[in-house]
Amino acid sequence: MTYTIIARCPRTGRLGIATASYTLAIGAYTDGATRPNVGVTLTQGAPLPRNNRLAINSLAQGCTPRLTLAALEQNDEHFDYRQIAIVDREGAAVAHTGAHVRKASGQRIGSGFVAIGNMLASEKVLDAMGARVESDTGSEFDDRLLSALEAGRDAGGLKGSAGALPERSVAVVVWHNQDYSEIDLRVDFHDGAIADLRRMYADYKPTAEYYEERARHPRNAIPAMEFADMLKKKQKGAS
Amino acid sequence: MTYSIIARCPRTGRFGVGTTTFSLACGRRNESLRPNVGISKSQAFYLRRVDPFALNMLAQGHTPAHIAKLLEDDDPDYEYRQFGIIDRESNVFAHTGPKIGQWAGHQVGPYYAAYGNGLAGPETVEGIVAGFMSDPDAPLEERLMRGIEGGRDAGGQRFKGMHRPERSGWLRVVDRLDWPQIDLRVDMHDKTVAELRRIFEAFKRHDAYYQELSRNPQNAKPEEEVTCES
Repeated sequence: MTYTIIARCPRTGRLGIATASYTLAIGAYTDGATRPNVGVTLTQGAPLPRNNRLAINSLAQGCTPRLTLAALEQNDEHFDYRQIAIVDREGAAVAHTGAHVRKASGQRIGSGFVAIGNMLASEKVLDAMGARVESDTGSEFDDRLLSALEAGRDAGGLKGSAGALPERSVAVVVWHNQDYSEIDLRVDFHDGAIADLRRMYADYKPTAEYYEERARHPRNAIPAMEFADMLKKKQKGAS
Repeated sequence: MTYSIIARCPRTGRFGVGTTTFSLACGRRNESLRPNVGISKSQAFYLRRVDPFALNMLAQGHTPAHIAKLLEDDDPDYEYRQFGIIDRESNVFAHTGPKIGQWAGHQVGPYYAAYGNGLAGPETVEGIVAGFMSDPDAPLEERLMRGIEGGRDAGGQRFKGMHRPERSGWLRVVDRLDWPQIDLRVDMHDKTVAELRRIFEAFKRHDAYYQELSRNPQNAKPEEEVTCES
């Protein structure tokens, strides 16, 4: 009941995750899943939080994604229930979909990305995500990841035993070269979570730089409320 | 324009943060907690590097008060910053710079700190503490949530004489593991605190199922058949 794309930006080396799920607060599972200049990973199906750090630490020690995945397998008696994606800093990618992961499920591995999903309407969801992230090379990396989720949703999204399931939580996380994230947006519990996140992304994005700048030069900063009002006026003017 | 409560649970040693603000997605800055090391939660004119730095210093054995001194010595704009730091021995330090503007302040307790800026006044901070202290036997996450609700009910945020809505919020508690025990967010909502409470209540109903699904997936029933509604 989750579909996810993890990727490395071929231009900038950024690493990111976009994930959408019927499960609440799916973004909480992205904790520890990304490390700058090391790699990105996620375990879903039956999630296993310890896998994030194990995989990233393994990559950091120089193991390939393939060797890392083998370590995750040997370390987990329920590996058949896990769905795992790993991409390293060179864009090398591997994935695993256990035999007991609920169907329709599958994985698509490309250059610098992995799409994985379970309880999908069909595997077309994965094809759509992969195609979007490969074709949409012009826009910003975070936008591409979110756009891949939208493509997955539009190709049918999630399906349970009684029919279609809503995406109730979603997260988009990108790390660049700092030891904290560059962007990390979430919806934790709301039907239509992907559309919510897209709306939030549009509102949040223009403010990000403002908050960085006001911290660097607080003496010259205009108050946050005034900035918000200015932004609103500008957006009204543009529309 | 933000108010927060940070605390180390005196019974369990767990660390937690509850925060809410006008700006969007405040929980995206989630580098504030490290299990068995401490908490550093900065705000107002926050620098992203402050919290990781403070946690690294805590891990090396520095006290919160000494870390504040290190931050002050290294920052020409220290008077614009607000933060709270707690270590694993429950030493607490809070700083509210005099140049933040609007009403800003903090209150420090034996294992917690409540603080905010762009607030209605000291009553918001008092409301946070009253909410947090309303049931000391409650789990830490519940106490933090009540702290935030107490701040809202006491008047919340104000700018130029007008009440300003909480638009994002974040609740996280860590225990001994590397990853959080609870980590919930509202990134954009016009009734953020009530929305965070709604998600918190729903998450509590699902939490045991999610843990079991992770540990013993062979026994788990399908999630769509899990009826966790109240």
